[in-house]
Formats: sequence, structure tokens, C-alpha cells
Amino acid sequence: MSRYLIGRIGQALLVLWGAYSITYFILYLLPGDTLSIMLSASGMEADALSVEDLAKARAYYGLDKGLFEQYVDLLLGALRGDFGQSLSLNRPVAELLAERLPQTLSLAGLAIVLSLLGGIGLAYLTAYIRWQPLKTALARLPSLGFSVPVFWMGLLLIQVFAFGLGWFPATGSRGLESLVLPAVTLAIPSAAVYAQVLQRSFQGVWKESYITTAYAKGLSRGQVQARHGFKNAALPILTLIGLQVGNTVSGAVLVETIFARSGIGRLAQEAVLRQDIPVVLAIVSVSAAAFVLVNLLVDLLYPWFDPRISHIPKVS
Amino acid sequence: MTVLEQNLGRNTLPASPAPWRRRSRLQRVAATVLPLLRRPGFSLALLVVVFAWVAAVAPHVLSSFDPYATSPIDKLRAPNLIHWFGTDELGRDLYTRVVHGAGLSVLAAFLAVGIALLGGLGLGILSGFAGGRIDAVIMRFVDVLLALPGLLLALAIVTAIGFGTVPVAIAVGIGIIPGFARTTRAEVLRVKTLPYVEAARLGGASWGRTLLRHILPNAWGPVAVLATLDFGAAILATAGLSFLGFGAAPPAAEWGTLIANGRHFLITAPWVSLLPGLFLVAVVFSLNHIARTFEEIQR
Amino acid sequence: MNTANLMSRLLAPCALALSLAACSPGNDTQAGKTLNIAFFGDNTTLVSVDPFQVYWLEHRVLLRNVAESLTDQDPQTGQIIPWLAKRWEVSDDALTYTFHLREDVTFSNGERFDAKAVKTAFDSDKALATELPATFGATYLAGFDHAEVVDDFTVKLVLSKPNAGFLQATSTTNLAILAPASYALSVKERSLGKIIGTGPFVLASYTPEVGAHLTKRKGYAWASANMKNQGEAHLDAVDISYIPEESVRNGLFLQGKADILWPRNPFSEVDLKLFQSKGATIQSRSLPGPALNLYPNTRGERVLADRHVRQALQKALDRKSYASTVYNAEFPVVDGIFDVTTPYFKSQGAKLAYDPAGAEQLLEQAGWTKGADGYRQKNGKRLSLSYNITPAETAGDVLIQDQLRKVGIELKLSVVTRAEWVANNSAGNYDLTINYMTRADPIILQTILDPRSANSSTLATNTYEPAVLEQAKGLFDAGITATQAPQRAAAYGSLQDLLIDESSAFPVYERVWQAATSPKVKNFRWTAEGFALLGDIEIGTP
Repeated sequence: MSRYLIGRIGQALLVLWGAYSITYFILYLLPGDTLSIMLSASGMEADALSVEDLAKARAYYGLDKGLFEQYVDLLLGALRGDFGQSLSLNRPVAELLAERLPQTLSLAGLAIVLSLLGGIGLAYLTAYIRWQPLKTALARLPSLGFSVPVFWMGLLLIQVFAFGLGWFPATGSRGLESLVLPAVTLAIPSAAVYAQVLQRSFQGVWKESYITTAYAKGLSRGQVQARHGFKNAALPILTLIGLQVGNTVSGAVLVETIFARSGIGRLAQEAVLRQDIPVVLAIVSVSAAAFVLVNLLVDLLYPWFDPRISHIPKVS
Repeated sequence: MTVLEQNLGRNTLPASPAPWRRRSRLQRVAATVLPLLRRPGFSLALLVVVFAWVAAVAPHVLSSFDPYATSPIDKLRAPNLIHWFGTDELGRDLYTRVVHGAGLSVLAAFLAVGIALLGGLGLGILSGFAGGRIDAVIMRFVDVLLALPGLLLALAIVTAIGFGTVPVAIAVGIGIIPGFARTTRAEVLRVKTLPYVEAARLGGASWGRTLLRHILPNAWGPVAVLATLDFGAAILATAGLSFLGFGAAPPAAEWGTLIANGRHFLITAPWVSLLPGLFLVAVVFSLNHIARTFEEIQR
Repeated sequence: MNTANLMSRLLAPCALALSLAACSPGNDTQAGKTLNIAFFGDNTTLVSVDPFQVYWLEHRVLLRNVAESLTDQDPQTGQIIPWLAKRWEVSDDALTYTFHLREDVTFSNGERFDAKAVKTAFDSDKALATELPATFGATYLAGFDHAEVVDDFTVKLVLSKPNAGFLQATSTTNLAILAPASYALSVKERSLGKIIGTGPFVLASYTPEVGAHLTKRKGYAWASANMKNQGEAHLDAVDISYIPEESVRNGLFLQGKADILWPRNPFSEVDLKLFQSKGATIQSRSLPGPALNLYPNTRGERVLADRHVRQALQKALDRKSYASTVYNAEFPVVDGIFDVTTPYFKSQGAKLAYDPAGAEQLLEQAGWTKGADGYRQKNGKRLSLSYNITPAETAGDVLIQDQLRKVGIELKLSVVTRAEWVANNSAGNYDLTINYMTRADPIILQTILDPRSANSSTLATNTYEPAVLEQAKGLFDAGITATQAPQRAAAYGSLQDLLIDESSAFPVYERVWQAATSPKVKNFRWTAEGFALLGDIEIGTP
């Protein structure tokens, strides 16, 4: 077990390093020179400055190092937990993350909880409903859920619940109420995926022979559903939750833009556009780390859900 | 419901007393598709997809307006008999713009799925067959791609290679590769141990021949279903990127761009953003519905 | 910082966030009279509220009410009037400015406002301009050499070369006087909100991209004549939020969660009518400085090197339709190089009439003939202009594209990142480009169109044909060295004529800044540069 664990952690670190390096070099490929963006931001184009002034400005922004040297500096810093200084925001990246990350984490956390509740709830509802037309409609609902673009759903929810009914504030990062609409928006596609997987599993379970046994033992329909159907689907759902972590960051970019929340999704989008490499790298590292960590946990949880899976090497 | 569908399918199989003859491919396709057409949901979905397809290939058939001609006096008209989807802030007919936007959106989705298919299938098959170190390296690479947040990766790629439909499609395609690669690898690993594959191998067929003659034809179904599902996902992802402003050069507009531009009028003229969005939802939902229906038949 | 440390810093606030979901430093105390202002998005490329560096209009509104300047400018006449300086003398050579300061002024941290504080401010500004020549305030300080303390309340500012705009510069937020304690801090600390001034409000907090909070300054009593309210502000606090999403911002205003809705771009007709139907008042003022002009690239093999094509372009723009379509029927039609609120503005309206037939005739003469696709061609080359846009095109851009299409000119709108936009501009890789600045003095045009002091010398050079460049430089020199108003009027008048006659600039629309104020907001008034005097505003029952 511990050997497996060490191997898995090694893999995870390798993946993290890969993600970090790929991002760095893609960002390096971006057109335009970071210095001229910085200068232009302060109201002056690079072509209006003399060579000495340019050198001065380069040093001022810490851009007077080579590509590889900067990469090594950043990587070593990141290993020590120091993500360096944001080029355009004038502050340490760690401080920015400390400020922005909670916003995204609370959003993502609530979204994951809502998506699980919604997905599982819908699947159970579908299973219990006996009236065929409604059952069919509910069975198709997940498909609809992930056919709706996140940004469009966000606009629709704002229109209806914020401006129409006035139940929730449309924007902002303050208080629990402002978290509801963005979290629901972000939760819908994930909930749809969970619901679909569960619905299929519930459908499949009735064909299994052990169901007859279960009935014979005197279990009710609901008990059968809860014990066997859910157990069947638990593994795929667990895997999906792991994968969904990555999607949450992507979704956060759109959702935070629409709901004017200041989380890391929006920060990332802006940082890419203004080539603030340390910020993008830090965000990529954090989200990749979260992804890797959650998936590691999921892997370790597998045997607990399904004893047939084991991480202890079998004697062959 | 599945049982019901299967019954439907079986009942309509030709039960003629004529001597048995191998059915042509066309007949076989017709035999699976025709009964499906009797289901209103499936026909409707097919209709929507065909409509989007016609819009993409020959938009002029579906609308006689010029998608780019502005007409200030007609700005922000609500939907009516002349302008089915209303007009935008410059008086352009929105229905026409949606129809003309199909070309770009469908092209982008095709490109993206094409890239994902090529890259994902290639990596997956290689990884599944080669095994060992190659498998490990490829899978770690796929892990890295999976660990990078998709939209962020796409943003970086689009910013690096420039804005527009094709760059967006490439970025989205690269984003879908890991999913494809994993599915393909799993499928290859499963199929590899199936009796008929082992039989072919024992019979002296090379891996290449086994792959082409035995595995791919049998793996085609699941891949097609996945591709159809991902086609919808690709439309959504490109819409997301064009929503953020990375899409085609104006005045051309993809569906995502139309939604994005209309959102300023959400309060005063909601149709400008909501109707193109609704159309997009209809197309993606139809694709998903078709994919699921075929999937259910296969099972 | 070690990892454990970082993790604890990252996780501690999250635990809080999940339980309270109240991580943001912005607070919504409704105690007393708080005015809520909803601006559009914050500046995400230069994060700073340091007055000297700021060009972002929204920040200048905030700063105008926190930090004050030696002089003020009358919004009606453009005259420079006393503020922190009671009076001043300018030497005959226009190189020495002697300011006699008010003696009753203190900074909000209790420090006394005096000649030393003014010297500290100007010295620090100059030091920053030397360290970072690109910084925006440097253009206001042009020619400034040093400051001398004459006595406690008299200070002498000495220039090394004449700068006719210097007196106006002393009235701007960019040369506002902060407390010496502020200058003891680093530029970064100032940028993130450590700003101490003498104004009627105190900047309590600034959170980039989220908002800012201002509180009333107790005991304030030194307003300039521009303020009706000469004492403490009526409001207790001002809450500013930055909301990039337009529909969301509008919704907040309609819900009554914002008292002033103040986006960067003017309202569209439908929005305007909606707000008015809810009883809102639309406040408008043309921002002083150049109008929204397109500047051509006349160099090399570019299509716009041909004067006829440029003139045709000038005639092909339907500015009236632009104003009424993109904005509304009452929206002013642009009338010259400058917006009308700029001192020495000279109307060019007669030369800016929409004349598509004239444009087509000019293009025919220049040898561009219409092809089957409706676009004009010469020697197999299409008459196509490239116009880079960042971050996204507006409805107006697309409208112009369609207007030009009608006379056979193809306008290629290429949406690029900020980085590429900058690169294309400095490489001269464009046919048309834009730039604008806001300042209530015609000298601001130098920052855009005089290659010797422009923020992009490429743009400034490319906009003139080689032969015209010297003429323009001469007029700029005449404008900056003139010490008398008539001389300045003559110089800037000729310059505005030249730019239109040579079609070296294509005015598109008047940069009107509009804010919607809810019925309970009273006494909203503009400053000369288009900011608001929050000290005057009262909140009452509608």
C-alpha cells in the first residue's frame, strides 16, 4: 500500500511539473513583449522611449533576465511556496491568491455540493416516478442540462431570479446570497452528468439477478434502489467528481465574468491577456494541484467502495 | 423504456417469407433508422440538426436578408413576422445572423472534434497496444492535459496563435484530446482480450491488420457516439471562447458571439441574447438526444 | 515565505469564507448617508490609484474628491481659479510660477499643508517620472525643473522650458498634492490606496477590481469656488464598485442598489429611455480633450498615403447616423478634432458632412473602381483598411464598417490582444487606429500627435504625410510656448484646421460621459475635466 502511495505521489508531482512547464512555454509563445504591455498600461508605448529608458524600465519590472533563467527562478520559487510578484498588479502573487482563492473555493465548494444534491435527487426522482411521460421527460433532463452553455444559463438566471423576482443579488462577492446564483449556474452541467450516470445505473440494476434475491429477502423497492443501484453508480460518480474539479475552474472563468465576482477564474483570464506570467503559472499550479490531489484521494477511496479493487499487489 | 424501444425495433424488422438474403448496407441502416423516425423526439432532433447543417452549408436557402447590412431605423425590433428573431442594435436581422453564424460554429466544432479524434484515437490506440513505457509516458502526458483547466489552456493557446474561428477550434480540440485518448485506450485494452481478437492474432494476423479489420469496425459504434456527444460539447466550448471575445473577426459572428453581444440588452431587449442562445441549446440538445438514442440501441 | 505559511494563509480565509462567505474587504454598512456608485470595470492593466500615475477616468473621479490641487478649473469658462493656492504669479518668461498657499488647510492625517508639502509632492512626482518615464503624470510635468520653498506658505515652481499648459496641469488630479507621509511610502503602497489628501473625503479602502470606500473628512472647509457646499460633505460615505458586466450593472441601478450608474461609454437609446422611465436623471458632459478620432497611417505603401482616399474616408463617415444609432437621437454629433468642452475648441462641422457621392467621386478619381463584390479595386488590389481593436469590437465599429462598405471601402476589424495591439501600433502595422486622453487643455493633443512627446511616436508620425509633419510640429511649438490666450487660440485653431484639411484625423463621435442618477441624488455637478464633486451631492427623498 505505501509503495503504491509513494508511486502515486511521485506521478502526481510529475504531472504538476508537466502542467507548470507546458503553461510556462505556451505563455512564452504569446505574441507581444511583456515590457511593451507594461509600458502601454502606464500610458506610454515602447517606441516613444530611448534605449536607456527602455533598459531602465526593463529593470524596474524585473524583465531583464533570460527566458530559461526566469523559468528556473519561478519554478524554484514555486517549490518554496513563493510565486513571485505579479507584473501588472504590483503585489506578491501569494497575496493575490490568498485574496481571490477563497472566493473561488466557496463558489466551487457550493457548486459541487449543489451538483451532487441535484444530480442524485433527480436520479432518484426519475426512478420513483411511475407516470411514463414524466419519467421520460426527467430522463432527458440531464441531456438538456449539459446542452445549455454556462454563460447563457448565468444570464438567464440573473434575468429571472435577480432582476425579475429579485430573490438574489445579481453580482458581487459579498455574503451567501450572492453565491447562490453563480453556484447554481456552475452546478448545472455537473449535476446533469451525475444524474445521467445514476439514472443509467438504476436502469441497469433492475436487470441484475441479485435484485430478485433482494426482493426475495423482503426489501422494498426503495431499499433495493438505495442499496444496490447507488452502490453500482458510486464508483463512476467518484471518478467524475475527480474530473469535475478541472471543469470547475474553467466554469469559474465564465461564471465569475458574468457575475462580476473577483475570484481566480477572472484573474486567470485577465492575467493571460496581459501576459502576467507569474500569476497564470500560480493559478495553473494551484488548480492542477487541486485536481491531482482530489484524484489521488479518489484513487485511494476506490477499494473502500469496491473491495474487488485493491492497491496491494496480488501474489501471482 | 429501453424494453419498449427494443420491442419497437424488433417488430418492424422485415418478417417476409421470402428466401433469406443478406441485406444491403442501406437496408440495414434503414432498418435501424426508420423505426426511430416514428419517435417524435428523435425526428424533431434530427430536423434541428439537419436545419443547422443546411444553415452551415447553404445559409442563403434559409434566409434572404444580408447578415451584415445595418439598418439603423430598424434597431432592436422585437421578433415579428418579418424578423423572426427580431433585430440587433444595428438593425440587422437576428435570424439571418444565427443562420449565417452556423457555418462558423459548425466548422469550428468539426475541426475541434477532428483534432480530438485524430489526436485522441492516435494516442489511445498507441498507448493501449504498445503498453509498457510508451503507455506510461502517454498516459502521464494525458494526465497533464487533464490537470490543466481546459478553458485556461484554451485561452493561452488562442492568445498565442491569434483570435478567430480556426484557432478557437484548435484550442478546443486540444482540450478534448485527453478524454478521447482515455476512452480509446480503455476500449482497446478491453477489446484486446476479446476472444475474436485473440483468435485473429492466433490465426497469424498482424496487430495492424487486427486493428483495421477486426477492432476498429467493432469499436466504431462507441466512438461515433462519443464523437457526436463531443460535437455538442465542442459547439459549447467554442461558444464559450467566442463569448469571451476570441471568436471570428467582425462582422461575422459565431453563435457564442451573438449571445455575448446581445447580453448588453438583456433587460431592454432580451431576445437579442436569448433567442440565439435558445437555438444553440436546441442544436446541442438534439445532438445529445441523437447520440443517446443510438447508444441505447447499441446496448 | 515557506509552504506551510502560504498554505495557512490560503486556507485560513477560506474556512471563513465557507462559514460566513464574507471574505471581501468591501463592507456594506448602510449607516448614515452612503452614496453607491457603480462604475464599469476597474483598470486591470495598471492597478493604481496613485494620482500621478492614474489616467483611468473612474479613478480620477475618486481622486478628485480625496486629493486636491493648487488650482482648480472653472467647468464653464475653462479659467484657472484658486484652490489650495489663494493666488499666483507667472514670470514674464513663463518659467517661474509663484503660488501663495492657503494657511488653514490640513491633510486627513493631521499634517499641515504648506510650502514644504508642495515641494515634497512635486519632487516626488519628478523622481517617479525620472525613474519611470512612461508614467502618465510625466506629461503634465513637462519642462518642470525644481520647486523652491520661499516661506511657509509660498512656493516657487521653476520650469526649464516653457509649458503653456503648466498652470492647467496644477489644477489636475495628476498633480494633486498628497501628504508628505504618503510620499514616504513606496509607489506600490500608494498605488494600492495609501493616499492621504486634503479633500472632502478620505479614501478608506481600495480593493482592485472590486471597489473603494470613501468616508467624510471631518472639519473640511477649503473648497474651491466650483463647490456650492463650502463645508463638510453632505454624505457620510461613498461606496464605489467596479462592475464590468453591463447588463448586471444596469440591473443593480434599476433595483436601487446603486444610486449613480456611471459606465465609461454613453448609454444606448433603449437603456436611456428605460432609466428615464424610472425617474432617473441622465447627467452628461463632453470629456475635454480630443474627440474619439481615428488616426491614419499615411506612411509607406499604405492605402491612406493617398490624400484623396483619406478625404473620401472623411466624407464616407455618417457621424449623425452614428450618434443616433449607437447612442440616441439627442446625442451630440462630433464637431471637430476636440470635444466641445476643450478650451480653444474650433468647430470643423462644415468639413465633416456626410457625402457618400463625393467620397465615391474622389475614389474614382484616385483610380479605385468598384468591382462585382461591391468593393473598390486598383491594379487587382482591394481597397481594404485594417483597424486593430482590443479587447472587443463595439456596435459603432461595425456600423462604420458597414458605412464604408457602402462606398466600396473594406474595413477589416481585427480583434487582437492588448499585447498585439501595442505591437501592431508601434510597428505601424495598421491603417487606422485610435487613442484618446482626457484633459481640459488643448496641450493634451501633444501626448497623442506630436512625435516628440507622444506616448506613441509611431502613431504621431504616421498620422501626417511627411511634408505636413514639420508644419504640425511648428504649430505644436507655437501652442506650448505661447503665453497669451490669443496666441494659443491661433496656434491650436490652425492645428485643428490642419488635421482636418489633411485628413490626418477622422472624428467619429463626441466622447460624452454619461451617468444616470437616481431620483434621490441631488446636486450632481461636473468638474472641468468631467469628474463629479461628491461633496456637493445630497441624498434625499425623491
